[in-house]
Amino acid sequence: MAPRRIDPTKLPAGSALGARLRALAALPKVRLHHDGDEVTAVQGEPLAMSLLAAGKLTLARSVKYHRPRGPTCLRGDCDGCLVRVGGVPNVMACTTRAEAGLDVVSQNSFPSAGLDVLRVTDWFFPKHLDHHHLFVHVGGAVNRTMQHFARRMAGLGTLPDDESALPPPERATCDVLVVGAGTAGVACANALARDGLRVLLVDEREGPGGLRCDDPFAGVASPVPVAGVEVRYGASAVAAYEGETLVLDAAGLLSVGARARVFATGCREGVGTFVQNDVPGVFTARAACRALCAGVLVGTKVVVLGDGRFARGFAAGAAEAGAKVLHVPAGVAVEAAGGRAVRGVVLRDGAATRTERCDALVIDGVPAAVYELAGQAGVAVTWSAERDGFAPGCDDDGAAGNGCYVTGSLRLGRVADDVRAADGERVAARVRRDLAEGAR
Amino acid sequence: MTAKALLCRCEDVTLDEVDAAIDAGSHDIESVKRYTGFGTGWCQGKQCVVACARRIAERTGRAPELPITPRPPLHPVPLGLLAKLPPEEPR
Repeated sequence: MAPRRIDPTKLPAGSALGARLRALAALPKVRLHHDGDEVTAVQGEPLAMSLLAAGKLTLARSVKYHRPRGPTCLRGDCDGCLVRVGGVPNVMACTTRAEAGLDVVSQNSFPSAGLDVLRVTDWFFPKHLDHHHLFVHVGGAVNRTMQHFARRMAGLGTLPDDESALPPPERATCDVLVVGAGTAGVACANALARDGLRVLLVDEREGPGGLRCDDPFAGVASPVPVAGVEVRYGASAVAAYEGETLVLDAAGLLSVGARARVFATGCREGVGTFVQNDVPGVFTARAACRALCAGVLVGTKVVVLGDGRFARGFAAGAAEAGAKVLHVPAGVAVEAAGGRAVRGVVLRDGAATRTERCDALVIDGVPAAVYELAGQAGVAVTWSAERDGFAPGCDDDGAAGNGCYVTGSLRLGRVADDVRAADGERVAARVRRDLAEGAR
Repeated sequence: MTAKALLCRCEDVTLDEVDAAIDAGSHDIESVKRYTGFGTGWCQGKQCVVACARRIAERTGRAPELPITPRPPLHPVPLGLLAKLPPEEPR
């Protein structure tokens, strides 16, 4: 069975997830096309959710081996859902809104992502394809032929149909730019705005809440920005230079000059490195939760590995939605089985290894700091044994030098909601002090 | 035979290739990147840099200190948009 849309009326009475999905059910439906098939979507939802709900899991092919690719992170951090939309190549379906009449086609494959004959590359090179050495030292003609072949086989998409009319960039200034409208980012922005500072808060998502939006049972309303904070949602901070930050949204680029920058970009989780870890149907637990909250169930017989917030949240929510769920809190994936969709998993649970059949494999990995933007701005990023990952360097107030500050789970790792909120306020107090001293 | 473990799925770099690079003496992220091309694809290392660091730690007993230098843009941006940015004013 493939992924499917959840019927909210079939969820248990009083379910927090049910209440959330019933609100979505009121949104208008639109029709769009994917590889010639008509797909019914909820207007404005992430396009990847519409395609999953239509049972479409293999959306793309990998660059070299043409292995099947499906959505894995559902947050714009992987290559699983790259499609061509309306003649524009390399569109991330997970960060694109579904609209009526969209023409979505698979790219980088022949004849389609579902059936790509170029997959033979994968079978020819069982361990890996060493393109640094392959045919390079065997003489001109063979090398040239190989290069000609490789250029046609590899790569991502083809040029756009039309030269798009791109709007000129805008410029904005503020006292403090806060990147990330999660619990810490909103707490920080609110505290600064209450002090009369001009605050711009940007977030890639369509609203505030950060990781709480992905938790099917987060319950209480997330903290929301106060009236004094200027907010841009659906806006991705894509580059940070000295004092200047570029923000990309549907309207184009916004170049922001700020006296201080607060990074509250949170953490992301991977699925880990195991055999066949890239088979469509393998999702991060947070992605599976994100789908659940959009009313899409990623599988009907699901194995859930890990014991984090999202593994537990997904296991409970998917069971309510009627999936058969096997949750192995201490389980580690050894090998996945399947071609265009996952069929099962070999997992290690303590000392024992066993095989389970499934049509979706959901993994809650170690959260890793989303440090890239802070790093671009000049924040030192180094290995942290405690976090088992890279983390930004800062003092106890989150100050990281050069007018940069870090807060929330980016700085602290995955801690409780109230701890992140308190951290946002603490960092705000430091920003306020530093700006006041600088102005003197 | 297709049973590959992908350390970097954007560039189709297998765990096997990364292990070969580590065993050949690349014990920092930058060297493994140059040797295998991992981290140079669509996501620019968002998914794989930590995985690579953990692998180096597993095989050598020591985690690398630094990640790949984070460079803009964080997500692909049409060049036409960047080209319209006003030139930087001299400081």
